[in-house]
Amino acid sequence: MALEDYRAVMERCARGSFCKWIPLAHIKSWRFAKGCPSIEYGGFHSYSATGRLAVSLSLLEGRINYTDELLKIAYKCQVCGACDVSCKVCRDVMETLEVIRALRVKLVEDGQLLPEHMYVIENLRKEDNMMMKSKAERGKWAEGLDVKDLTKESAEVVFHAGCHISFDEDQWKLARAAVNLLKNAGIDVGIMGKDEACCGGKAYDMGYRGEFTKYAQNNIEAWNRAGVKIVVTSCSDGYFAFNRLYPQLGSRFEVLHTVEFIHRLIKKGKIKFSKTIPMRVTYHDPCHLGRMGEPYIPWEGIEKKIRGQIIVHEPSKPIMRGGNGIYKQPREVLRSIPGLELIEMERVKEYSWCCGAGGGVKEAYPDFSLWTAKERLEEAKATGAEAIVSACPWCERNFIDTSNGNGERMKIYDIIELVQQAI
Amino acid sequence: MTLSREVYQALEDIVGPDNISDDPATLDSYAFQWVAELSQRGSKFMPRPEAALLPGSTEEVQAIVRTCNRYKIKCKAFSTGWGPYAAPKTDGVIQLDLRRMDRILEIDEKNMFAVVEPYVIGGQLQAEAMKVGLNTHIIGAGSSCSVIAACTSFLGPGPDSIYMGHSSENLLAMEWVMPTGDILRTGSLGSGAGWFCGEGPGPSLRGIARGRRGAWGGLGVFTKCAVKLSPWPGPAVMPVEGVIPAYNSPLPENFRAYTLAFPTWESYADAYNKIYDAEIGYIAHRQFNLLGEEVWPAYIMRFIDPTKTTDDLEELLRLPEIQKLKVEGRRSFQLVLAGVTPRDIEYQKKALNEILVETGGRIVSKMAEPAMERFTLLYLIKMCFKEINMGLAGTYIGTFAQHGTPDFLVSHLRPAAEEALGRHQRKGLIADTGADSMMAAVSGIGGGGDCTFEQFCHYDPHNKESVRGALAYCADAARAARERGMHGGLEDIAREISKEELEESRRHAPQPIIYAFQRKIKEAFDPNDIGDGSYIATEEVKY
Amino acid sequence: MGEKKDDLIKIVGAENVMDAPEILETYSSDQSFARPMTPRLVVKPKDSDEVQRIVKWANQTGTPLVPVSSGSPRFHGDTVPSMPGSVIVDLGRMKRIIRIDRRNRMAIVEPGVTYSQLEPELAKEDLRLSMPLVPRISKSVLASLLEREPRLIPKYQWQMPDPLRSTEVVWGNGEILKTGDAGTFGRLEEQWKEHLAQVSGLGPLQVDYYRFTLAAQGTMGIVTWGAVRCEILPQIHKLFFVPAERLDDLLGFAYRLLRFRYGDEFLFLNNSNLASIIGEGPEGIMTLKEELPQWVLILGLAGRDRLPREKVEFQEKDMIDIAQQFGLKFESTIPGARDRVVLEALLTPPKEPYWKLRYKGGCQDIFFLTTLDKTPEFVKTMYSLSQTWGYSPSEIGIYIQPMIQGVACHCEFDLPYDPINKKEVTKIQRLFTEGSKALMKQGAFFSRPYGIWADMVYNGDAQTTITLKKVKDIFDPNNVMNPGKLCF
Repeated sequence: MALEDYRAVMERCARGSFCKWIPLAHIKSWRFAKGCPSIEYGGFHSYSATGRLAVSLSLLEGRINYTDELLKIAYKCQVCGACDVSCKVCRDVMETLEVIRALRVKLVEDGQLLPEHMYVIENLRKEDNMMMKSKAERGKWAEGLDVKDLTKESAEVVFHAGCHISFDEDQWKLARAAVNLLKNAGIDVGIMGKDEACCGGKAYDMGYRGEFTKYAQNNIEAWNRAGVKIVVTSCSDGYFAFNRLYPQLGSRFEVLHTVEFIHRLIKKGKIKFSKTIPMRVTYHDPCHLGRMGEPYIPWEGIEKKIRGQIIVHEPSKPIMRGGNGIYKQPREVLRSIPGLELIEMERVKEYSWCCGAGGGVKEAYPDFSLWTAKERLEEAKATGAEAIVSACPWCERNFIDTSNGNGERMKIYDIIELVQQAI
Repeated sequence: MTLSREVYQALEDIVGPDNISDDPATLDSYAFQWVAELSQRGSKFMPRPEAALLPGSTEEVQAIVRTCNRYKIKCKAFSTGWGPYAAPKTDGVIQLDLRRMDRILEIDEKNMFAVVEPYVIGGQLQAEAMKVGLNTHIIGAGSSCSVIAACTSFLGPGPDSIYMGHSSENLLAMEWVMPTGDILRTGSLGSGAGWFCGEGPGPSLRGIARGRRGAWGGLGVFTKCAVKLSPWPGPAVMPVEGVIPAYNSPLPENFRAYTLAFPTWESYADAYNKIYDAEIGYIAHRQFNLLGEEVWPAYIMRFIDPTKTTDDLEELLRLPEIQKLKVEGRRSFQLVLAGVTPRDIEYQKKALNEILVETGGRIVSKMAEPAMERFTLLYLIKMCFKEINMGLAGTYIGTFAQHGTPDFLVSHLRPAAEEALGRHQRKGLIADTGADSMMAAVSGIGGGGDCTFEQFCHYDPHNKESVRGALAYCADAARAARERGMHGGLEDIAREISKEELEESRRHAPQPIIYAFQRKIKEAFDPNDIGDGSYIATEEVKY
Repeated sequence: MGEKKDDLIKIVGAENVMDAPEILETYSSDQSFARPMTPRLVVKPKDSDEVQRIVKWANQTGTPLVPVSSGSPRFHGDTVPSMPGSVIVDLGRMKRIIRIDRRNRMAIVEPGVTYSQLEPELAKEDLRLSMPLVPRISKSVLASLLEREPRLIPKYQWQMPDPLRSTEVVWGNGEILKTGDAGTFGRLEEQWKEHLAQVSGLGPLQVDYYRFTLAAQGTMGIVTWGAVRCEILPQIHKLFFVPAERLDDLLGFAYRLLRFRYGDEFLFLNNSNLASIIGEGPEGIMTLKEELPQWVLILGLAGRDRLPREKVEFQEKDMIDIAQQFGLKFESTIPGARDRVVLEALLTPPKEPYWKLRYKGGCQDIFFLTTLDKTPEFVKTMYSLSQTWGYSPSEIGIYIQPMIQGVACHCEFDLPYDPINKKEVTKIQRLFTEGSKALMKQGAFFSRPYGIWADMVYNGDAQTTITLKKVKDIFDPNNVMNPGKLCF
C-alpha cells in the first residue's frame, strides 16, 4: 500500500501520544516508562509516530515540501514497532508502523534518498549484503564445517546465517554453534554458504521495496530449488523477513528462529545440560523476534461501517499487536540452563525497548543508535544482572559497541552461546 | 507571519540550535491535533506555529517569555499537548514543548506530596508513588496526561476523585512563569518554606488562572508544581498479566472492582449520595458507558479475549450473555473498593451491600466474573486505556458536562443529553451507540457531592459527512445545554464558534461580570497579550 | 462627616448606623498589639443588597471599610482600623441560615451565623459542621473559614478552603459575584429547583474567585454568604488519647493513621492547652497541667448513619493494633482527662470565657503552617526563645493540627499572660516578635499574615506582593477595603 492509502490512519490519529510510551498499563517506574527511542532522542514531536502521521498527512495535502529535516524525521527511527504496539492496545484501525514504512517508500520512490542509505543499498546491489563488505567473503564463517551446500545439494532445512553474522567474525561462532546443534539433533540441514544473499529485510525497512522484493524472490527460488521446507535463522531481522514479509510474496516455508529450535530440542530431551552457569542474566527481546515475530496472516477485505459510524472490516481483519511473538521460548531456554538466574527488565516482550540498530539507523545515525543501546544497557544494569542475553546479532553488536565505548562491564551474550556453554 | 531572523536568533540563543525549529514539517506535527477538524473546517491542522521550542529549564522558559514580550509574539506552552487547546489558535504563535522538563523532583513520602515538572505523566508519578505506598490522582483523560497540566491548567475530575480529589484540589505550591516573564512561586514556596502549601500568604494567588476550567496554556507557563498524593493500599508494583490488549491485574485481597446497576435513575442518584455519605470507594466512575449503552458490553470483550477486535462487535452483540449484560448494565457505574486493612475492606463491602439493598441496586454479575473484575481494576487504577474513547469510530467529542448534584444530573442534564444525542444518532452520521453514552466520575471532587455526565459523540474524522454530522450535533448540544442554563462540554471549545455566538452566550451567561473580571486579569497579567485566547478575555469590559 | 452618616442611614436605617463613643470603642482595638484606632462609624447591613450599596458608596466617597463578622473578643488586629475615618461594616445582623440541605450535606450561612447558632440547626437535619479548636462563642462560622482556621478533622480537607465551597462576594469595586458552582447557573432559588446545591467552590470559568477572599482580612471584598459542606451527625462518637512525654514519639503513629485516613478529630495538644480547654479557672488549669501527660494525640472516632457501631469497632481495633506497633497506648482516660469531657469540649458549642483567656486573662498566639515532622524543631525553638525572654516554657500552650489530609500542619503556640501586668505585656510583646522572626527564619510559613507577620512575610516574597497588588487593583481599585492590612 502506498502512503496515500493510509490517509484514514493519519486522520484517525487522536494525537494521544500513547506511541511515545510503553503500554501505560506496564509502566513500573519513571525511568523506564518511555517506549520510543526516536522522540526521546529527537525531541520534537515530529519524531514520534503521531508526529510522523501528521507529517505524512501534511505531505499528502501539499502543505510541505521535501527538506533535509523531513528526511531526518522519516529516517531517525529504528522502525522498531514500539509505537505500533502501544497504539494498538486501544485502537483497531491504526497502523502507525505501516505509515512510517510507507513514508520511507514514498521518499525513496520520489528520489529523496538519505546519502548514508544510498551507499549501503549500492553495496547491497553489488555484493548482496548490508554490511558494506565483499560477497566473496560471505560463507567464511562455515569454513571447515561439515554441512550440506544447498547450491549443490538438497535439504529439508536451510540455516540462514544472515548478513551480520556472516561478516562479523566475532559472531561466526553463533552460526557454527547453531548448525552443529541442528546437525547433532539429526536435522537434515544445509547452508547457502558464500551464495547466501541478504534477506532484504533492512532494505524493506529503509523504504527500498524493490530491493527487498528482488532479494526475497531470489531466496525463495533458491530454497525451492534446494527442496527446503523449513528456514532457520539466528538473526531476528531475517526471522521477521522470512516469517512476516516473504509469505506476502507467496513463500510457504516454515520459519523458525534458532531459539525456537533449541527450545523444541530441550523439550524433547535432545539437548541436555551438563554444566552449570552461575550467572544473573536479563533477556533483551529483539524487536523483530518479539513484537514483530508474529507470522503473516493474509487478509483481503473491506472496511465498512456498522451502527452509523463504527468502523469494522469484512471479513474480520487480523491485527498484529505483537502479543504472540517469540517470548516464551527464549525464556524457557534460559531458565532451563542450570545455575542461570533470569531477571526481567521493566520493558519486555511486546513493549521491549529497542537495541537501536534497526531501520537503517545504525548506518545513518550511529550516535542515535548507540544512545538507544546505552539506554537499554542502563535498564539491564538496573536489574542487577551481570549479563544481557539476546537472540539477534544486530542487537548484540550494538550492545557490544556501546559497552566498549563506555567502559561498561556488562557481559553480552547470544542465547546460543550460553546453551553451548552449558551442554 | 514569519518570525524575523532577529527574533528566531534571540530564541535560539536561549534554547540552543538543537532545541528550536522552524522547519514546516516539524511545525505541522505541532499543528496537527485531535478534533481539529471541528474548528478548522475539516482540516486536521490547527494554525501552524511560527517555531517550536524545547526549553530545558524554568530559566529558559522565563527568557523565552520575556523575549515574547519584547517582540510582542504570542506564546503557547504545552506539557503533552493532547487537544486543540494545546496548539496555537491563531497564526503568529510560538509553541513551547515542555518535554525536556520531565523530572520528578521529590516525593515526600511522609507528608504525601510530590514535586514534578511538566512532562511527568500520571503513569510515571503513579508508578513511583506506589513504591512508597502512595498514589496520585489521574485525570479522566488518562495516565498519559501531564500531572502539572491537570493540576494547574485543565479541568480535573477523574475516576479516583471521590477519594483523591479533583486535579486542582491536589495542587499545592507551584512555580509559574507569568505572561510578563516574572516568576511567581505560590504559597509556602514563595516564602521559602517548601512545597507543602499552595495558599497564601494571605489571599491565594493560584486563584488567578485556575477556576474549574484552567487557563489551558493561555496565561503563562507552569514549570513546577507540588501535588498531593493519596494512600495506596495495594502492592508496590501492580502486577499486570495477560496478552495485549487483554491486560489485567489480579485483585489483591483488600480490593474489589464492581459494576453496579440500578433500576431507575432516581435510585441511581440515591446510590451516589449514599456512597458519598458512607465514605466508601477508592474509585467510582461511570467509565465503560462512554462506548454507549448499546455497545460497551460487547466492546470491552476486546480487553478480555485478545483474539477479539472491533470487527467482532456484531457477533458479540448477538451473544446471549452480552445481551443480558446490556440489559443488566443499564444505569450502571464502576466502583473499586480498597481497604487499608482487612477489617476496612470487610466494612466497605458490608456498607455497599446495605446501599444496594436500599436502592434496589445490584452487582452486575457478568462484570463480577474474575476476568472482568481484573480488567476493571487495572483499567480504573491505572487509567491506561483511554484511547478507548477513539476506538469505535475513529474519534469522539464530549458534550454537556455541566457539573451538579446527582439529582441534577439525572433529572436535568441527562434527559437533555439523551434527547440530543439520540436524535442525531438516528441520522447515521455519528455512531449509534445508544442515547445513553454518558461517562463521568461519580464525584468530580474529593468526598463526593459534585458530578456530571459527559455525553460521548463518536464520529469518524476521516469521513467528511461524519465530521459534519458531529458538528451539527455539537451545535445542537451546546444550544440545548444553554437553553437549560447549562454551559457546554468540550464541544464548545473544540468547534469554531462565531464571534456573534460567543458574545451572545456571554451576554446571557448567569454572571457576565466574570468575563469583565477575566479581561482585567488578562490586562494586568498579560499586558503585551502574549497569551492566546485560551484564557478568555472579551473585547468589552462592561455589561 | 454627618453627611456620611446620613448616606448610610439611607441605606440601612438610623438604628443600624452607630457613632456613640462607647460603641466605637469596642471596635477600636482588640486582644492583639495592633495600634488602636477608633472608627468613625459602625454600620450594620441586613443583606447583600445593603452591603453592596455600602461598598459602592465607600468607593464614591473614598471611605475605608473594615468588615467584621465575629463578636468580641477579637484577636488578630485585622478588624482594627488602620486608617482614620474608617467605617466598620458589622455583619452581625446577617444571621440567616439560608438553607440546610441534608441530601447534599450543604448549608448556606450568612456572616453573622456562629457555631452556637448553626450546630443545633444542623443537628436537626442529622448534620454537623467541623469546627476549629473550641472557637469562642461569638465566632462567625464564615469568618473562621475565610481566615483558613484549621479544622479538627484532616481527612475531610481535600484542599485548604474545605469545607467552604460556593460563596457570594461583594467585591471592593461594588460588583457582586457568586463564586464556585453557585456562579454557573441562575439565581439560588432556580438552582435549588434544579437540585443544584452549590457544592463546589471552583470557578466559575478560569478563576477561583473565592481564594482571593481567604485570609484576606477583608481587603478584597465582603463575603455575604458561604456554602459549607457538612458531615453527617455521628450516632456513636468516641475519643481516644495517645499520651507521650515527647512529641517525636507520636509522629510515626500519627503519620500511619493519616496515611490510612483513620479517625475523625485528629490533633495534638500539650498539657497546657488541654488544661486550659477542660480546666476550671486558673487554679484548676494549673493543677490539671501537672497531672496531664506532656503531650496527647487526641483522636476522635465517629460512626455516622451507616453501620456506626461496625465502623467505630473496626477502626478502633485497627488503631489499637497500630498503636501497639509503635509502643504506644490507646486510652479513653488519661491522668487529668476523660474522653467524654474532652469530646464535649471539642464538639459542643463553645462556652464563655474563651478557653485561651481562662488561665491569665490574655493570650497571644503565634501560628503558622509547616509539615508535621518539623513541628518538634519549632517546639524546641520556641522553648529556647521563651527562656531567653524570661517566659516559662511550661506556660506555652501548643496545638498542632494536621491539615489537608496530612500534607500540611498548623502549628500554634499560645502564650497566656496577664494583660494588666505591664511587665508581662512587654515580655510577651518581645517574645511574640522575636519568636515570630525566629520561627519564620527556621521555615515557618505564616500563611495568615496578621499584624507584624504581614511585613515579615511580604518583605520576603516580593513577587507575591507585587502580584497581590495587581489582584487588589482589580477587585478593589480604590482600596476601600480595610486598607493598611496585608501589603495594601
